[in-house]
Amino acid sequence: MFYRQSGIRHRSYVSDSKLFPIPMDRNLVLFLFLLGLAAPLLIDTLYLNSYVLPWLIWTAAALGLNLVTGWAGQLHLGYAAIMAVGAYSAVHAARFGIPWEFALLIAGLASAAIGSVFAFAAMRVKGLYLALTTLAMQFVMDWVLSHVPAITGGSHASLQSPPFKLLGQPITSDAGLYYVAFGWCVIVTIFVLNMRRTGLGRALVAVREKDYAAAILGVNSLYYKIVAFATSSFIAGITGALLVVTFFFLASPEQFSVTVSVQVLAMVIVGGLASIIGSYLGAALILLMPGFANSLFSATADFLGWQMDPETLAHIPNAAYGALIIIFLMVEPLGLGKIYNNIRDYFLVWPFDQMKK
Amino acid sequence: MNSTTETDSVSDPILTLNSIEVLYDSVLLAIKGVSLEVPRGGMVALLGANGAGKSTTLKAISGLLKAERGKVSRGEIKFDGQVIGDSLPQDRVAMGICHVIEGRRVFEHLTPDENLEAAAPISMSRQQIKSEKERMYDYFPRLAERKSAEAGYLSGGEQQMLAIGRALMTQPRLLMLDEPSLGLAPFLVAEIFDIIQKINREQGLSVLLVEQNAVAALKIVSQGYLIENGRVVMHDTAEALKANSDIQEFYLGGGEAKNFHDIKHYRRRKRWLS
Amino acid sequence: MDWIFLAELSVNGALTGLLYSLFAIGLVLVYKSSSVPNLAQGALTMLGAYVVLAFSIQLGVPLWLAIPVAIVIMFFVGLGIEKVALRRLAGRPIVMILMMTLGLDIFIRGSTLAVWGGTSRPMELGVSYDPFFAGPLLLSRINMVGAAVSVALFVAFIFFFRSRLGIRLRAISDDYMASWSVGISVERGVGLSWALASVVAVITGVIWGEIQSVDQSLSLLLLKGLTVAVLGGLDSILGAVLAGILLGIVENVGSAYLDPIVGGGSRDLLVAIVLILTVMVRPHGLFGRHDIERV
Repeated sequence: MFYRQSGIRHRSYVSDSKLFPIPMDRNLVLFLFLLGLAAPLLIDTLYLNSYVLPWLIWTAAALGLNLVTGWAGQLHLGYAAIMAVGAYSAVHAARFGIPWEFALLIAGLASAAIGSVFAFAAMRVKGLYLALTTLAMQFVMDWVLSHVPAITGGSHASLQSPPFKLLGQPITSDAGLYYVAFGWCVIVTIFVLNMRRTGLGRALVAVREKDYAAAILGVNSLYYKIVAFATSSFIAGITGALLVVTFFFLASPEQFSVTVSVQVLAMVIVGGLASIIGSYLGAALILLMPGFANSLFSATADFLGWQMDPETLAHIPNAAYGALIIIFLMVEPLGLGKIYNNIRDYFLVWPFDQMKK
Repeated sequence: MNSTTETDSVSDPILTLNSIEVLYDSVLLAIKGVSLEVPRGGMVALLGANGAGKSTTLKAISGLLKAERGKVSRGEIKFDGQVIGDSLPQDRVAMGICHVIEGRRVFEHLTPDENLEAAAPISMSRQQIKSEKERMYDYFPRLAERKSAEAGYLSGGEQQMLAIGRALMTQPRLLMLDEPSLGLAPFLVAEIFDIIQKINREQGLSVLLVEQNAVAALKIVSQGYLIENGRVVMHDTAEALKANSDIQEFYLGGGEAKNFHDIKHYRRRKRWLS
Repeated sequence: MDWIFLAELSVNGALTGLLYSLFAIGLVLVYKSSSVPNLAQGALTMLGAYVVLAFSIQLGVPLWLAIPVAIVIMFFVGLGIEKVALRRLAGRPIVMILMMTLGLDIFIRGSTLAVWGGTSRPMELGVSYDPFFAGPLLLSRINMVGAAVSVALFVAFIFFFRSRLGIRLRAISDDYMASWSVGISVERGVGLSWALASVVAVITGVIWGEIQSVDQSLSLLLLKGLTVAVLGGLDSILGAVLAGILLGIVENVGSAYLDPIVGGGSRDLLVAIVLILTVMVRPHGLFGRHDIERV
């Protein structure tokens, strides 16, 4: 049903490597894109800017991390530190008077430069040890942010972001900010979608599966590891900058602490490694989950007539967030992307599902 | 050689496999209906080429399949008259089945002494452990000399002896050996096989031996099964197998060179059998 | 900078370092048996301290009884965590296992605070805060107690790993398949190592709770404990003890020199740098296992 494979025959390599060979996929993506364009008309601005906008930005972040962790298979626990580099360079550049277009580019390049330093760790070690190194680098960055006033304005200080302008046009309206986030998320998605069918994407997967086997096949795994880290960091830098510009409006160190790194990794894992749709779903679930748990618990408490300690209520979202990660890893370690694929596979052959094998 | 015990116990084998099938990852059929019997106190060899399904058969018996996401999907395994269904490996060891896995796999960072101790059943008393260890050192005097070196530094032959000794510590009634000759010098193979034969004779231990080295294996066992592509294609006494010209040609490396027609004939017959 | 001061910094650093070793021993126990880096050990430490306080403050049980009770409870908590959460992830990519322990960390921390609240509470072991004078050196009493506990635990584990049960655990950490083949229950062994790590977490939580009082910041010991464990080689208890002493000295002496320059707070930076350098220069740490080449 819905997804029809019948009648699709490839007669050339070009048609075989199409992004969406099945019409249903193409139509669905098109529909979602139009929905995204029309969102400011359909959704109340309060929801638009406090839910949809951060969701899109975090999705871009998750896609960036997925690039290096999902496709290239390199563990990264310092992603928020890279986002911080981008955010602070963009804000400082803009305060210096550089136009925002270039400030964002500077953010991306600065992050890519720092991110490549992480890649040097990836050349020496992999797996657990890489995770620990990137974690330590995140702590170093936390320390720098809270101890170097030249960057952050000192500990517990925040840095105001100058008014946001693109192409000489000040962007202050809610819809305008939304479109910036939407546009960035679409660009990242298109990039990652296409990356999968290029030599780069295949090389990254080869490096992930067995780096020395890839090396034997002539894939320069060191080079591709650096490319993966640099590309993902570039995305992280601009995403971090946009997060400050369109959502927080000021930059402060705790926006990029180690918990944020863990949160983005959670989005990637809950969504599914190397799954694009998964990054969208994972970001949505991780962002919405705490608020949902909170209202669920207070509603239950009200219903049962319990007196909830405000402190208890304050910590329940965290417990629920942890439980969510645990349950996902127990039930479906391959994440929401896998669940989506299962449903799609089911419809792909429905009602002849005995033909699957 | 064990003909008397063998004829006595034909009616009451210690291990019976009744057309078992093994499925890996619930899709890959590795064993397609293997039936075999190990007589009580007898020695049986399971011969065959690489990937024929010999190791898988042993893992099905010892329960180690579970660790590799495989399972027995059809048929039944009877040990000592009892069906062992889905029980855990440790329960089967407690019943008296012990599997010496391929590639020796001693506990590298433990000393030989500790290797033996790790395998002793929990119920065994300190005194018993001590005397059992002494017994192992009697069988394998080489181990006694190096009992406090790290096992990872032992030579290949010593590691194989340790692996067998470690298995014997579990007090098995059926010992299954997976390629004990792998990568060992011929004189060591002979030494190890002598000891196995000695334990079999003295203790009445039943042995199921998986080997690629058919020459060495057929010297000590009383009967053998030949497995190919996950099926048993031949079963006979060791003498008959040694005399069989096909076996000589394909597994013993001897015999006269056959012409192509004969080989084709053999292959066709095999396909028909399987 | 005079020598007495340097000696005092080093000795106090070494004592504090032994307290990091206490934490790291918990990490090593789990890693040794199952190669799982337990990033939830910080949260377990915090939970252990809270459970002790729950008995001693809320139920009025004396502390000498509350601690063993908490140890027993946490033993089963550890068993449960392994059985419910970790067992089914065996063989999955390391990123999922890491994420699972991170999820456990977030969950345990969140629910502990939801149940008992985040206000910080004293442990009240009754160790005097007056400094102890060893010749010209000024030492902290509670650090000395903690260091003694750490060394005692180290000795206890050395003996434990020589016992029959301990030999079996070491066998499991060497080779799962071979352990199964001789009838050792790998699952139970790995569960036991989690249980022991949780017991160590209670002890760590009590000692650190006495030093800095019981609150959420107990879980922040993770970075230091992790650094000590990696520096020591991740699977060596002796390594954890020696690396703890080393890190304690580096941290105490280094921060005394660095703090005036960077304006304070250089301890965490030093620890992170030690972790990075260890992984870059010698990933197997001081006493990590080099896999033995067959000869």
